[in-house]
Amino acid sequence: MSEFKATASTIINLAEKFEDDSASFYEKLAERFEKDKAVFLSIAQESKKNKVLVVRTYRETITDALEACFSFEGLDLKKYAVEAKLGERASYAEALKTAIDLEDKISRFYSDAAELSKNLLATIPAAFRKVAERRNSRIRVLESLLNKSKAKP
Amino acid sequence: MAILDEPIKDVLTIKNYVDGEWVESEGELVNVVNPANCKVIAKAPISTGAEINAAVEAAKKAFPEWRKTPPLARARCLFRLKELMEERFEELSRVQTMEHGKTIDESRGETRRGIENVEVAAGVPSLMMGYNLEDIAAGIDEYLIRQPLGVFGIIGPFNFPFMVPLWFAPYAVATGNCIVVKPSSEDPISQTKIAELTEEAGFPSGVWNVVNGGRSVVSGMLEHSGIQGICFVGSTPVAKDVIYSRCGETGKRVIAQAGAKNFLLVMPDANFDNTIAACMTSFFGNAGQRCLSGANLLVVGEGLNDREYDVFYAKVLKAFVDAASRIRVGYGLDESVQMGPLRDKGKKERVVGFIEKGIEEKAKLRLDGRKLKLVGTWPHTCFLNPTVFEDVTPDMTIAKDEIFGPVAAVMKARSLDEAVDIIHASPFGNAASIFTQSGKLAREFQYRVQCGNIGINIGIVAPMAFFPFSGMKDSFFGTLHGQGQEAVRFFTESKVVIQRWF
Repeated sequence: MSEFKATASTIINLAEKFEDDSASFYEKLAERFEKDKAVFLSIAQESKKNKVLVVRTYRETITDALEACFSFEGLDLKKYAVEAKLGERASYAEALKTAIDLEDKISRFYSDAAELSKNLLATIPAAFRKVAERRNSRIRVLESLLNKSKAKP
Repeated sequence: MAILDEPIKDVLTIKNYVDGEWVESEGELVNVVNPANCKVIAKAPISTGAEINAAVEAAKKAFPEWRKTPPLARARCLFRLKELMEERFEELSRVQTMEHGKTIDESRGETRRGIENVEVAAGVPSLMMGYNLEDIAAGIDEYLIRQPLGVFGIIGPFNFPFMVPLWFAPYAVATGNCIVVKPSSEDPISQTKIAELTEEAGFPSGVWNVVNGGRSVVSGMLEHSGIQGICFVGSTPVAKDVIYSRCGETGKRVIAQAGAKNFLLVMPDANFDNTIAACMTSFFGNAGQRCLSGANLLVVGEGLNDREYDVFYAKVLKAFVDAASRIRVGYGLDESVQMGPLRDKGKKERVVGFIEKGIEEKAKLRLDGRKLKLVGTWPHTCFLNPTVFEDVTPDMTIAKDEIFGPVAAVMKARSLDEAVDIIHASPFGNAASIFTQSGKLAREFQYRVQCGNIGINIGIVAPMAFFPFSGMKDSFFGTLHGQGQEAVRFFTESKVVIQRWF
């Protein structure tokens, strides 16, 4: 059992932070790497929608009867620590690798939180799973960009 | 972890809301204290008899016009109220944590439950419909219409300062009645906030009134001939001997929801991890201050031999105590906290008295909540950690009386029959839950147990807004219950018309 207790409120706040940080990270990528600007801006926009989805679902679902403070017991938040920052001199490939790592960790956060709470909360795990799927789709997109960049001479 | 921003910065002076005006009371002011940090956050009045009368008169005056307002227009006021509550969701929730002490997750849950009642009541054009039948005799038709009665009084408890009055108020006004709400004097701020929103939502003056105070205000409401009915949630002695009794004498309708002593049964085939998690919220959520809290955990040995039962009992007890001992107690605006303080010092002292009684009566203290372990540095005044007793027998005080605090009594029952007998020996009948994988046992439990709210693998049996909040025996006095269709029936008179045209 992790020492730090993950209440529903903590988890939602962390999800909000992940989405905010992701949005600004991809906006910066869009500024830096003009050629894939549209892709990065679209991902940033999706993060903003994810945030709305997660917060709305939480507020519409949370009730005192749904084991609100105990739903995420055992979730070790340290596992999902991410740095959504881009080094000043990071190359395009390095930026994509950072992004893939970010998506992987955040996707696992959403999947693990959904799994832990599936028996106690109602719609929140479904929303988490949806965001996790979106994050996994991003990984595929980012990997494809990375492969393309490697293929070029 | 950082404390969330507190929405109340300065000491508020609570006013009454009467006839669409914010009126300063002439009564004595009492402090409203945040139980986590012991700071005064508001001063609330104990309103005078004249002030109660003024509120009832304002409601009476508003009634004829409001009654004539089309149900759809009344519903639109509720839709606007809902929207405003959604906009202010976070502020309303944090206020509850500040004035009551519950965790922010619990407060948000309470806000949601309150809003759900506004949503359901907004369906009044359908909910209030009557019914009819043609040709009950040659050329004669008969139909039923529901009509509002006038003015209702709503008396709220301290443990759910936002939600409980909303079990009644939205339905009362949706059906065309006018109301006078009396919040608990211990935590009246939420109801002030709601009244502010009703004003913004465009409810006409006098439809929704709030008068603050204590017992004298309750007496004033009970004695007032202009009030048609009372909705009350509180302790059994008051519900039975004061509210129910006096409403009977004065001919008022009444919903009086009262105390509880709820049993949770763990059967040998229960899903273990989920059961323990559900038990934590049930016994220790809201610091045990709710009428649906688990109080007695019955470990049932149905189908087990003696040795198997001992092993099962020890396993449940260990997991329960371990989980309870890990609960983080502190200020509810710290998001990592899972249990807040008791509402005030007196309530803590009362709970401590029960712990001492349990020790005196030879129950075994497995976890002593008096030994405080808090998250953060807060005055110890209102805090307790979870307490668990084992070897509790049904005749002990801690097994019988409503403690209304974070104290669990673990008891043994060798069979479901014995467990049901133990439940039925209690004068209360609010809620009971069974944790099992067996549909047969669950069905038998549901069928036999004399409690108004039955949980099957549910720790807190809180009915949703579209179901009545039930209760039996000494846990409920009245006929119809709050919430949903029953509330609509409570707030309306059924009028039957038989018509023939020559």
